[in-house]
Amino acid sequence: MATRAVQELQFLKKTVLIDAWPYWLGAILLGLLNIVIFIYMASPWGVTTAFVFWGAWIYQAFGGHPEVWSFFTLQPAMMAALKGGFWAHGGSIINLGLIVGAFLSAAAASQFKIKKIKAGRQVVAALLGGLLMGYGARLAFGCNIGAYFSAIASMSLHGWVFGVFILVGALIGSKLLVKYFM
Amino acid sequence: MSETQIMLRKRPLTAVKKKSQLGYTAAALTVVIAVGMYLSQMKTLLSIIWFLGIGLGVVLQKSRFCFTASLRDPILTGSTSLTRATMIAFAVAALGFAALQFTTLLKGGPIIGGVQPVGIHTAIGAVLFGIGMVISGGCASGTLMRMGEGFTMQWLSLTTFILGSVLGAIHFGWWTDNFFKAAPKIYLPEIFGWAGAFFGQLALLGLIYVFATWYEYRKAN
Amino acid sequence: MAEFTIDALGEACPIPLLKCQKKWPELKNGDVMIVSIDHSCALKNIPEWARKAGHNVEVEEVEDGVWDIYIEKNA
Repeated sequence: MATRAVQELQFLKKTVLIDAWPYWLGAILLGLLNIVIFIYMASPWGVTTAFVFWGAWIYQAFGGHPEVWSFFTLQPAMMAALKGGFWAHGGSIINLGLIVGAFLSAAAASQFKIKKIKAGRQVVAALLGGLLMGYGARLAFGCNIGAYFSAIASMSLHGWVFGVFILVGALIGSKLLVKYFM
Repeated sequence: MSETQIMLRKRPLTAVKKKSQLGYTAAALTVVIAVGMYLSQMKTLLSIIWFLGIGLGVVLQKSRFCFTASLRDPILTGSTSLTRATMIAFAVAALGFAALQFTTLLKGGPIIGGVQPVGIHTAIGAVLFGIGMVISGGCASGTLMRMGEGFTMQWLSLTTFILGSVLGAIHFGWWTDNFFKAAPKIYLPEIFGWAGAFFGQLALLGLIYVFATWYEYRKAN
Repeated sequence: MAEFTIDALGEACPIPLLKCQKKWPELKNGDVMIVSIDHSCALKNIPEWARKAGHNVEVEEVEDGVWDIYIEKNA
């Protein structure tokens, strides 16, 4: 009987911890998580606004004054959040939690590995790609989460517009990827 | 037995370099709980948000969910499995969001949720973002997830991601004056009515799902 | 029965799969392609692609976070 129990545990360990979960399950869970986030944070899931704050706090650490940026002067709520600091900022905490959660998940399956950069083209791709995403998200009022996932779920037109044009961007990016970064 | 299985059996048994990452896992769990406790002392809400973030990271990593792939793979590899998965995620969230929005409106409250000004800036921003996510190998959530998985490329990507965000924040005033100020926030129920917008969206999501399925399997015929 | 190896270690999404698809036409029925990856996405999308096309797939974890995917062409 004990061996049956051990077998069951091994099976559970494999399917839950080690094997990947199916996409549809991830999808349902993400949908549910976004709803819970909306309830607790009074606003749906978003990733990139926090990056403005991270940049601002880093700039501050080097003696800079981000509070003069129009992003903060024109938006009192953002200015207040800036003054509040990292550990009072929900958007920052949820992002950090995401990173740690991903690490935890990989380690629990013994699949964590540091993947070092292999070629110069990867450095260029990473730096250029990050810059485009950072600026683009500011224009669109969000990223694939804030201006796409959460926006469409909120029945906002900007989410659908974002969806159409992010596809255009993905097409251009794919051509560039194959031509220069492969 | 297939050729591959035969070949695998015949391979010399090299010592597999595997060590259990129990130590890492234990360390991670300690951090998770410690930060959770630290935050709950300041404000319970922050602790909840922390655990929600952990949940997002776990779900994204375990299911290998990737928004970038959902938009890129139909073009590059012909696969739409993630595209279809995103439609499911959107539909599930839409149900809950509508309930939240509706109940708030009924109580005389405002329209809550992510409704933002739409205009040319949305298109430009989305195109830039789309290009960036494909060449860097990860979108916003994907970048964070891969940082946790150990991809140094995404750690690098985050640096300019922050820089780009900062530049955008500095230019916020210019974009507001020239684009955001005049741009309307369009809440679909205001155009199509509650039923029209809500069911219309679900129908559209469903349509995309069906199309994506056809798109992937048509090549097999 | 020929063996084709692809080293996709350290490559970003979706390059491992693209490399497989690029090399694939060179394989004859019964040939085997062995792809080395360390990307969790590739761990899902390469077998998915191969199985949908009707080929045999075996995955072996070589070390923590590194896998060898064996695909046998079964046209």
